Amino acid sequence: MILRSFRFVDLESPVEYFSTWLTPVPHFFVRNHMHEPIELDAGGWRLSLGGEVEKSVTLSLAELSKLEIHSVVNTLECAGNGRSLQRPPVPGIQWGKGAVGTARFSGPRLRDVLQRAGVKPAGKHVMFRGLDEVPGKVPPFIRSIPIEKALDADTLIATHMNGSPLTKHHGFPARALVPGWIGAASCKWLTEIKLLDAEFIGNFMSPGYRLPNQAVKPGDAVRPEDTHAVTALSVKSVISGPIDGSSLKANKVTVHGAAWAGEADVVKVEVSVDGGTSWNRAKLGRDQAHYAWRLWSFDWKPSKGGDYSIQSRATDSQGRIQPTTPVWNPSGYLYNAVDQVNLHVS
Amino acid sequence: MFRRISAVALLTITTGLLAQKSAPANLTADLPAGTMQAKASAACLECHEARIILQQRLSKAAWTKEVDKMTKWGAAVDAADRDALIDYLTTNFSPDKPAYAPPRTANKNASGKTSD
Repeated sequence: MILRSFRFVDLESPVEYFSTWLTPVPHFFVRNHMHEPIELDAGGWRLSLGGEVEKSVTLSLAELSKLEIHSVVNTLECAGNGRSLQRPPVPGIQWGKGAVGTARFSGPRLRDVLQRAGVKPAGKHVMFRGLDEVPGKVPPFIRSIPIEKALDADTLIATHMNGSPLTKHHGFPARALVPGWIGAASCKWLTEIKLLDAEFIGNFMSPGYRLPNQAVKPGDAVRPEDTHAVTALSVKSVISGPIDGSSLKANKVTVHGAAWAGEADVVKVEVSVDGGTSWNRAKLGRDQAHYAWRLWSFDWKPSKGGDYSIQSRATDSQGRIQPTTPVWNPSGYLYNAVDQVNLHVS
Repeated sequence: MFRRISAVALLTITTGLLAQKSAPANLTADLPAGTMQAKASAACLECHEARIILQQRLSKAAWTKEVDKMTKWGAAVDAADRDALIDYLTTNFSPDKPAYAPPRTANKNASGKTSD
């Protein structure tokens, strides 16, 4: 894994790992805003529900596991994935292309848990608080999602990932799983759920994780009221092989990768071997699920040796296409420009 | 006082994350030499490691925002040192510097076992 930070732990998957539909947990990126909880005791862990509910509820892990378990294969991507490719650079973890992965998350539906407490009509947003160890006067990592997304049948309190209990890096013993949305929505080490009548007010809802409503140029002042919370992921593809900078001795090259689109479906991936002048349709992999990436491949026979710029671009069911040039924003969120690797074929 | 991650927790993370046979990644990195190195280390590395700084490539305006934000969040920066700290960070981590090359941890297979 690529070590972006040791303290706090931030690990990125090399893109060459994206060759399987499900990402093995040891290869799954890790994004921590703060220190991981120092002590986690599954027996003593409790999840509390309060706020705009009929009755406050506290659940143990054993009680949670007695609820109906649902599984969702979801591509989880950090909102800042690709930030290092933004020009001019912006502050934050300088992710390359690998702060993304796909796993089968399992656990009770959030709506079933909310039902236990009874959501009052005033409960319009669902706040998550995790057990992160907060350093100094840093604001705690607390965020909220709208009630409509919270009540979706695929929004979970996940306790398992690819069939095994969550690891500590991924939120043991339980995390929110908000499918199709940026990773920050899926709060790890979940310990408190609170129903609110409005979006939670805190650093990680604003100014954090917001995008300008209109395109802005570097240096432009952006007023908070001219921004919106980042929610669903963009349409995006990455090339996982051959890796950038490769020298190949072959008369046939399989260009392959993964493509995802948040709450939408990937309908097409195209590959260009001439720097974007012409595009060829890639073959989509057999494995698919609504919130999961599609693997794709394109067999290419280079007509001659030389240097090549290979590009990929995805199109989704909402008609969105990866842009040729990145759309810059002050925090480097949702980078999704056409992907590119450079190869030498001899 | 900031809550510093305990040695036990650090060891746990180290064992789980970086136990490896090849290409060991240094767990910690240092900020570059300079008259502000010690004060920057004291102010910034109390909460996070140097790599979070080493990987940034920011303008002076952006570093100013970062220093002021972190000071608000508890970084111990003497008001008299603020400008020098911003200059130190801008000098060492400006957009014209080459990109930071991060280390890699061990390759682990699907079972979580470390391999070469």
